[in-house]
Amino acid sequence: MTRDILILCSAGMLVTAFLMVGQKALFTAIRLYGVQSLLLGIVAVAMGVAEGRPHLFVTAALTVGLKAFLIPWFLMRVIDRIGIYREIQPFLNVPSSLLACLGLTVVGYRVSTGLPEGTRGVTHHVIGVALSMLLIGLFLMVTRKKAVTQILALLTVENAVFLVALGATSGMPLIVELGISFDVILAVLILGVMVHRIVERFESMDVSRLSKLKG
Amino acid sequence: MSLLLWTLLVPLAAAVIGGLPGPRKLKELALVGGLWSTFALCAATAAQFLRGETPAAFGDALRVDGLSALILVLSGFVGALAGPYGVGYLRRNEAKGRVTERMSREFYGLLPAYVFALLLVSVSNNLGLLWIAVELTTLASVFLVAFHNGDTSLEAAWKFLVLGSLGLGFALLGTVLLFAAGQNVLGEGSSALHWTRFMEVARELHPFTLRLGVVFALIGYGTKAGLAPMHTWKPDVYREAPSTAGVLMAVGMMNGAVYCLLRIHLISKAALGPDFSSGLLLALGLLSVLVAMPFILIQWNLKRLLAYSSIEHVGIMAIGLGLGAEAAVFGALLHMTYHSIAKPVAFFSVGTLAQLHRSSNVDDIGSGSLGRTPVASALFCLAVLIMTGSPPFGLFFSEMMILKAGFFGPHLVVTSIFLAALVVLFCGFFYQVGRLVFGPQPVREQPPEPEQLDLSTMTMLAAAVIAVASAFYLPEPLLALIHAAVAVVQGSV
Repeated sequence: MTRDILILCSAGMLVTAFLMVGQKALFTAIRLYGVQSLLLGIVAVAMGVAEGRPHLFVTAALTVGLKAFLIPWFLMRVIDRIGIYREIQPFLNVPSSLLACLGLTVVGYRVSTGLPEGTRGVTHHVIGVALSMLLIGLFLMVTRKKAVTQILALLTVENAVFLVALGATSGMPLIVELGISFDVILAVLILGVMVHRIVERFESMDVSRLSKLKG
Repeated sequence: MSLLLWTLLVPLAAAVIGGLPGPRKLKELALVGGLWSTFALCAATAAQFLRGETPAAFGDALRVDGLSALILVLSGFVGALAGPYGVGYLRRNEAKGRVTERMSREFYGLLPAYVFALLLVSVSNNLGLLWIAVELTTLASVFLVAFHNGDTSLEAAWKFLVLGSLGLGFALLGTVLLFAAGQNVLGEGSSALHWTRFMEVARELHPFTLRLGVVFALIGYGTKAGLAPMHTWKPDVYREAPSTAGVLMAVGMMNGAVYCLLRIHLISKAALGPDFSSGLLLALGLLSVLVAMPFILIQWNLKRLLAYSSIEHVGIMAIGLGLGAEAAVFGALLHMTYHSIAKPVAFFSVGTLAQLHRSSNVDDIGSGSLGRTPVASALFCLAVLIMTGSPPFGLFFSEMMILKAGFFGPHLVVTSIFLAALVVLFCGFFYQVGRLVFGPQPVREQPPEPEQLDLSTMTMLAAAVIAVASAFYLPEPLLALIHAAVAVVQGSV
């Protein structure tokens, strides 16, 4: 049972990552990130039940509270305030982006086969999904222009790392996890402030306009 | 409470005082006093280590061994210089009416916070805590990079934040994979991520997972160190950050990142044998030195020139550490020490030149700057002499040591390319200096501001005196710390 939930939820995370690639509306992309984090929370709970590790429930609560609700809410507020709602022209169009991400998923799965198979036998799938998500996050980062999309790409990479942590180690020590969550929140706040300053200054959040520094 | 905790708390307290609204005098005092007492406490902690104790806190999550002690002292030293220079720097800008209340709060609050994060990096024994500390350094420095709030400073800060976070994402993945490699042997609880614990069970770690983890961690922390090809943020950031923050990045952050690289390298060395991560370090180091070469030759901006010099020097350290022989490691750590002592002179003189001429572009400053701003220009020449490794200055000896160890070891080709690159870099730097300092003085509509003997200038002169003196005399305890750090790297403690 937990095995099915694990595989279902991590596959769901991969699906949200793909949807994010195919998405131009920023609000929807943020909601997708929220759903992705919710699924990560469920993975943590399932893992906690399966292995009898209560501290994973804390991880799950943190993930859902911060990443599924607080961060999306904050990012939506940033977007609302600056009034830019769509990614107009990504560097690569959607169909070819999706195709590229398909290739990245294959690579992610291939690498995951070298890791030791856990007792659950699902480690391989979870890590495969996580590595693919990591690559997709990197891909989003380089092909999109809007500052908020870049933040979402960073957060996707971060979710992927947490999924690796769950799949391969059944959770980092709690105190470390708390510290990391704190840092992530701080980073998102600072990124939000920076987006604000950039929009104030350039009247746009196209990071492709940030191109004066060379040489 | 232990000395180690005080060392960390004092800069934090200074950050709180500086970040809250308050009279300017108090903030200046908190910055300079706080950073000076921090340096004293760092030295005291290192002295405690030299007496044979191992300062530690929180169940060994913070632990000072030889390597930590060396980097702690160097970070403290740079902080102590950055404090008074920063005060002078801000006073000059205030005199021109360019500093708002928000800017001064950010400046006085974030500088000590940055120093705190740097010190935390150097004493972290827990790999998770290490990551958290490095992330804190990034977050503390973003607004220092964006300090002037212009188009280019926002661009630099954004690139810095995004690339830095991405690098740290990789480093986190690396940390997770290292932890996964030791899933069954490291045990439970927060002590499972201790570096010392990793070293105890190194032979039982799962090799494939470990390899993957080491690669990701080296790339991640390499981004923070500014090793090529992850160096692209460095020139932009160094150009935009005020020199005070720049020197903390170029010395403190770089040493801290090298510290992280070394910890990962040592785990890999103990578990997989010396070849794997040494090879990576050698490749990244050589690439950094080579990448810096053309950009130094064609450089048009002094602060970017310093950034490429910094990429070169981190490359040299990586090569020394990658060569792996005891003499090479000693050379690399000696290089780190001398570099930390010399770099402030370069940053302070370039920062002063940029302030006086209102630009750090070579063309805006124009040729013949020696006649117009003699002190800053002369010190810039001196800094270049030191940094390019001219005898009798320290970096000459450390580079010779690395080269010698390289030629006696198995990596002849790498060492030869390295030597050739050093020669080109040397010429490139002197070409730039000659272009700037000597030659006829152009007629300018806006002559530079006259030099004044204020707090920044005095700090700059003091830094220069220390840098020159260090060539002839390195204090005995500092040498002992370097030897202790070498012992940690060579695994003989």
